[in-house]
Amino acid sequence: MRNSFFRILILALIIACLGVLSIYSSTFQKEGTQWQEIYKRQMLWIIIGLACFFFISRFNYRKLWDANYFIYGVAIFFLLLVFGLGVIRLGAQRWLRIAWFNFQPSEFAKLAIIIFLARYFSRKSIDDTSLLSGKFGIFQGIILPFIFVGLPMFLIIEQPDLGSGLMLMLVFMGLLYLTNVRIKYILILLAALILPLPFFWHFLHDYQKQRLLVFLNPNIDPLGAGYTVIQSRIAIGSGGFFGRGWLHGSQSQLYFLPESHTDFIFATFSEQWGFLGSSLLILMYYLIVRQGFIIAQRTHDSFGKLLAYGISLLLTLQVFINIAMNMGLAPVVGLPLPIMSYGGSSVLVTFIALGILVNIDRTRNVF
Amino acid sequence: MERKSILNLIIIIMFSALIIGLCDLGLLQGAKFRRLSDSNCIRLISQAGSRGNILDRHGEIIVDNKISYDVMVLPQDLNHIDQALALISRILGVEVKVLKAAFKKNFISNSVPVTVATNIKLKEAISLGEFKTEQPSIIVTPKPLRHYPYGPLACHVVGYVNEIDRWRLTKLEDYGYKTKDIVGFGGVEEKYDYYLRQEEGGLSVEVNHRGKFMRVLGFEPPRNGKDVTLTLDLSIQKITEENLSGKKGSVILMDPLSGEILALANFPNFNPAIFVEQRSKLISGLFNDPDAPFLNRAIGSSYPLASVFKIVVASAGLELKKINLSTSFVCQGSIMVGARKFSCWDIHGSEDIFQAIAHSCDVFFYKTGLLIGAQNIHDYALKLGLSRNMGFELAGETSGFIPSPLWRKINKFQNWFNGDTANLSIGQGDCLVTPLQATNLLAVFANRGYLLSPYIVKAVGGLDFSVKKKRVMGVAFKKSTFEIIVQGLAKVVSDSEGTGNILSTLPVKVAGKTGTAQVSRGATHAWFVGFFPTDKPRYVICVFLENGGPGHAASLIAKQIIEAMNNQGLI
Repeated sequence: MRNSFFRILILALIIACLGVLSIYSSTFQKEGTQWQEIYKRQMLWIIIGLACFFFISRFNYRKLWDANYFIYGVAIFFLLLVFGLGVIRLGAQRWLRIAWFNFQPSEFAKLAIIIFLARYFSRKSIDDTSLLSGKFGIFQGIILPFIFVGLPMFLIIEQPDLGSGLMLMLVFMGLLYLTNVRIKYILILLAALILPLPFFWHFLHDYQKQRLLVFLNPNIDPLGAGYTVIQSRIAIGSGGFFGRGWLHGSQSQLYFLPESHTDFIFATFSEQWGFLGSSLLILMYYLIVRQGFIIAQRTHDSFGKLLAYGISLLLTLQVFINIAMNMGLAPVVGLPLPIMSYGGSSVLVTFIALGILVNIDRTRNVF
Repeated sequence: MERKSILNLIIIIMFSALIIGLCDLGLLQGAKFRRLSDSNCIRLISQAGSRGNILDRHGEIIVDNKISYDVMVLPQDLNHIDQALALISRILGVEVKVLKAAFKKNFISNSVPVTVATNIKLKEAISLGEFKTEQPSIIVTPKPLRHYPYGPLACHVVGYVNEIDRWRLTKLEDYGYKTKDIVGFGGVEEKYDYYLRQEEGGLSVEVNHRGKFMRVLGFEPPRNGKDVTLTLDLSIQKITEENLSGKKGSVILMDPLSGEILALANFPNFNPAIFVEQRSKLISGLFNDPDAPFLNRAIGSSYPLASVFKIVVASAGLELKKINLSTSFVCQGSIMVGARKFSCWDIHGSEDIFQAIAHSCDVFFYKTGLLIGAQNIHDYALKLGLSRNMGFELAGETSGFIPSPLWRKINKFQNWFNGDTANLSIGQGDCLVTPLQATNLLAVFANRGYLLSPYIVKAVGGLDFSVKKKRVMGVAFKKSTFEIIVQGLAKVVSDSEGTGNILSTLPVKVAGKTGTAQVSRGATHAWFVGFFPTDKPRYVICVFLENGGPGHAASLIAKQIIEAMNNQGLI
């Protein structure tokens, strides 16, 4: 069990270091100390993240069971706060300015929702201590949790952050699937979500419509919405097998690639480290996720099990959607690549999530 | 299967999909994306080498290059462009509006530097160069331009240079020609374009996403084109052009032993510099000129050879033994052939072959021609190089034409009459010959029996291949035939009543034949074709004047040319 702690720690550390290298390479030529110092800030966040990781890994996750409603309430509170006081950046109101840093409550909300769902579906029957979720009817199994998930999700989508919202939806579906809720209900939920999609089209913001259309064909708007995808594909493709070498990527260093240190950091990395480096990176992410699943499978406590599954799913989906979006295989949504992308909230929340994962593995024997 | 295993599987598939996507982008399409990436950030600033010079046989420059300077701007965001253009306008004294218009007009794509001003002065180029550190996106490049020190001299031989046209581009694309390339049109410029052509070199520089100059990646020096050495003699060429100027026609001087063209002049001519200066009004005026100044008359158009053709008839008669030294015919001013009266230009009385050539007696040659027969005349004309392409180097050669009974029967379904034979015997009718063919015809008699292939390019890039160019074909005539005809040609000048008697006052002995070609409309064409010195011919000269009057006019010009050559000690 010490095993999983070190594995996850080492993998996360390697990825974090690669992230710092990539952030440095994409910003060191920019003018202004604020840009050139950005990698140092990321390093600071990683150190804070590691501290959280160590702290959380020793903090019994069962306490989350009790704190569940409090955490959920805090998340909703922050999301509401964003509406009123949020900092508008890149056309979206996602950040809260706290002291000297910008905090992104939606990152925190993702984790809160997972904790909430794990708690909700791991309630046990009083008679035979079996899980209730298998016996849930459609109201208890689908509608009620959907309302709980839907509230923060709605707030996140309204920021607007369609990507995070939809990802939460996918995590929700994944957890529903894993908690023995009847397939029939899940299919009903799916149908209820997919059928009105053409109708929802009208509620999408223009830029969201544009992004979806551009995802279908990036060349319809090569200088506008399609530009990023085109440049990102060029960056990944031009890396070839061995890459162009650290600090030698022309796409990222000459600023052809926008957001090269945040959402499109994978393209930055891939340009410099090539197919070899990128596939190793993907492998490392897979190994972390796999650790998560292994932990989930050998945990007998259903709350811990679901929590581990949820965290693993969250990581998987974030990594998959971000990398797929970098390669032009998914529409451009504002999702960071966990641990690698520049951004304090994301780094912090990911390390906390990993800490919970390690803690689940460490404490499961108690029960 | 358990739900968690299915989910596990789905996750493995998801990560595999990422790896597969990576394979596709990085490995399968990697080369394409690498190219795209380079075109994003690498700009090539081409620097032209200079086109090869065109030299005369002694290495004197006929056409060379002079350096001019162009100003280019790297496309980038508008703010920077405005700053750069403002600087340029301050130094060049041109309005910003003009520069902006030029920028808009010449803009191709973000990856190509845009030329905003051309042919600026050296002083301006230097002062712009001083701003290199402040405004690295302004680029001043030297550009060699064609320079014609003698203006229109030898323009038909040299040709001109201009932007490549669509037709040539489709033909030449495979040889590395691009749109907007400057290529040769007409003459040596076109024929030897591949050797004359310079190779572009240039800088490759790195720019950022705003097109801002970052650093120089590499420099490849441009390579100059190869020099082409012509067989022309600059001083003779100058003399011929001076004497021809103002009269429509052409003059050719050729070495009768090797076939080297020493001078080739046509009038009307043009100044190739107008293409370099892009004076489109003048150019279109020249193209629409009914006198066709771009036509290389010496090779590109054919005319009735008139009396000069009598040499062919005489040699055919001698070879076929239809006439000999003792043959003489009486010229009474005209002769009846069939029911038609064919007249001579004078009443000559009894004429032998020498007199007949000297006086250019038509009656003698009507009779000789009728004795020989039209088909034979045609055959001998072909033996002497008429009616076919001689494979001259310059483009636009025509083959001329000699009619024959057989040809007429096959192509026109018409019979050949004796009247036609008589007409052909004095080089009229359908008989068409280019001035160069006429020159070559006389060369056979000057060198006594060798049909040459005239050529005009002696060497390319210092590599002399005149030996390979010199192709001679023996003309299997009897020695006496040549001697008789050369004597006859000498008499044209030396005989007091010879048609070319005007040349007898020259210090050099000249032999030759005049010709006056009747044309359906306008004044007659004038010919003088000859060689000198008679005993040891070093030059064949052909003077042809289109609608220039009687042959006498051509002889006069020939005389002036030979006189001037003699005065300059060229003979």
